[in-house]
Amino acid sequence: MSTQVDRPAVEVGVAAGAGGDQPTPRRTRGRRQHAALRIRHELPSGWRWAFAALGAASLLGLWVAAASVWSTTSFPVPGPLATVRAGIELWSTEGLGTDLLASLRRVGVGYAISMAVGIVLGLAIGTFPAFQVYWEAPIGFLRYIPATALTPLFLLWLGIDEAPKVALVVAGTVFYNILMVADVGRAVPAEMMASAYTLGAGRWTVLRKIVFPHALPGIIDVARINLASAWLMLVVAELLAARDGLAFQMQRAYRFRQVDTMFAILLVFAVIGVASDLTLRWIRNRTAPWARP
Amino acid sequence: MDPQPHGTLGPTMNLPVATPKLVVSELVKDYRFGRRTVRAIDGIDLTVGRGEIVCIVGTSGCGKSTLLRIVAGLEPPTGGVVTVDGDTVVGPGPDRGMVFQTYTLYPWRTVRANIAFGLECAGRPRAERERRVDELLGIVGLTEFAEHRPGALSGGMRQRVAIARALATEPDVLLLDEPFAALDAQTKRAMQDFLLQVWRRTGATILMVTHDIEEALYLAGRVYVFSARPGRVAAHMHLPFGATRGWSVTRDPRFLDLRDEIRDLLLAAAPARP
Repeated sequence: MSTQVDRPAVEVGVAAGAGGDQPTPRRTRGRRQHAALRIRHELPSGWRWAFAALGAASLLGLWVAAASVWSTTSFPVPGPLATVRAGIELWSTEGLGTDLLASLRRVGVGYAISMAVGIVLGLAIGTFPAFQVYWEAPIGFLRYIPATALTPLFLLWLGIDEAPKVALVVAGTVFYNILMVADVGRAVPAEMMASAYTLGAGRWTVLRKIVFPHALPGIIDVARINLASAWLMLVVAELLAARDGLAFQMQRAYRFRQVDTMFAILLVFAVIGVASDLTLRWIRNRTAPWARP
Repeated sequence: MDPQPHGTLGPTMNLPVATPKLVVSELVKDYRFGRRTVRAIDGIDLTVGRGEIVCIVGTSGCGKSTLLRIVAGLEPPTGGVVTVDGDTVVGPGPDRGMVFQTYTLYPWRTVRANIAFGLECAGRPRAERERRVDELLGIVGLTEFAEHRPGALSGGMRQRVAIARALATEPDVLLLDEPFAALDAQTKRAMQDFLLQVWRRTGATILMVTHDIEEALYLAGRVYVFSARPGRVAAHMHLPFGATRGWSVTRDPRFLDLRDEIRDLLLAAAPARP
């Protein structure tokens, strides 16, 4: 009945008895790796916070240091405090709010058009080889024209109001959006579409219920990446011909040699960028929680 | 020209072969690689009767998955015809539900919404969809997981959802392309019993492709053994085990003899490769 039950006990006894005979370990085998500097290994949360804080602090520290070194030379660098003060001043006396709104509207309208075209054409190119072949020559040719080179043309054709600025934002981002969304569309597993066909789906249903939902998080990521190019195009447009806008204020500050004001506007650009990126990331995680990395 | 039944040991379990549900005749499939043409399938004839489980066994690269894709309508044949109830197959449709080897569940849909997909495509009203999905969730034993997303399920559970999804529209034929190949041994065995249980409850007509000889012998009423490159029917066997076989059948001497016989056939058919 209990023929083998006592086996572990025997082993424990042996181990305990033999313990004294074993040499005490002096050497180690294998190479230890420090927890903070492993390759592609999740960072312990303490180190995580430490490195994040260090990154933010180094930028701020570098800025403060530069400001104190060059404060009195002919190469003035305003510190963080002076920058914020100039920003508040700009907001209350020069009405930076309206400039901010003007710029946001231009980027918003232009980038919305660009994304809409990018999604429709991109998904068509990514799913139908016929579309891909058709668009290969036109897009391949046009996308190598630097969009900034179109600025004088757009001013000539569209006047100096909102139209050329919106057009420039579209021209500078739409090709990237199309090609990157096409890649996202191509990443939909063929088997996933095949299974939909065997369940009775037609091509339109596959596009609507398989390709689009699968591509959605990728499309939002494309939007996040190319948004920076949209702002780049906006600045070019506003520097050349504008009566308001963030880059127009930049130009104005340049004429009056107001370096602290210029720094304040740069800060506004950075804050808008971070805020829009976080917003898009939040939308991505809300609409496609299944694709959360 | 049906190949001779081969290696039938003892009295055969005679299944009604009156009017087969699915008929594949003289099927040929060529693939072109640049100027080279490779024949994947060479003149295959096979039938699946109503309510029958038929397995195709072959080594990898014998064209068995290609055959299933042609039956599903996902690829056109180079020659030959596939008919279901006398109708020629020209494209995919919900009358031939398919379960794939890899997980093809839609990760953004819950288990319930995955199973309902085919019913949505058929335009069935919501109330009917819910009723049917509830019934299927019961059959595959996943009622508690109805609102989970596939990412939260194990491999075996995902394949059970895939089977339920394919069954939802009550297909004439259920096509299974190595559905359990990615599962561990224990789960695989449980899934085989699960499939038999579903089959007994629904009376589904099933054509399954596998490289696992024992799986084919355990599940099927008839087995087609494919030779490799190009795929041909090397043997066609009526299995002598009843429909209510249990796991003990795997120790039946006839089972072991058939297993060895098929193994020898596959070894002879496949060129020696490392």
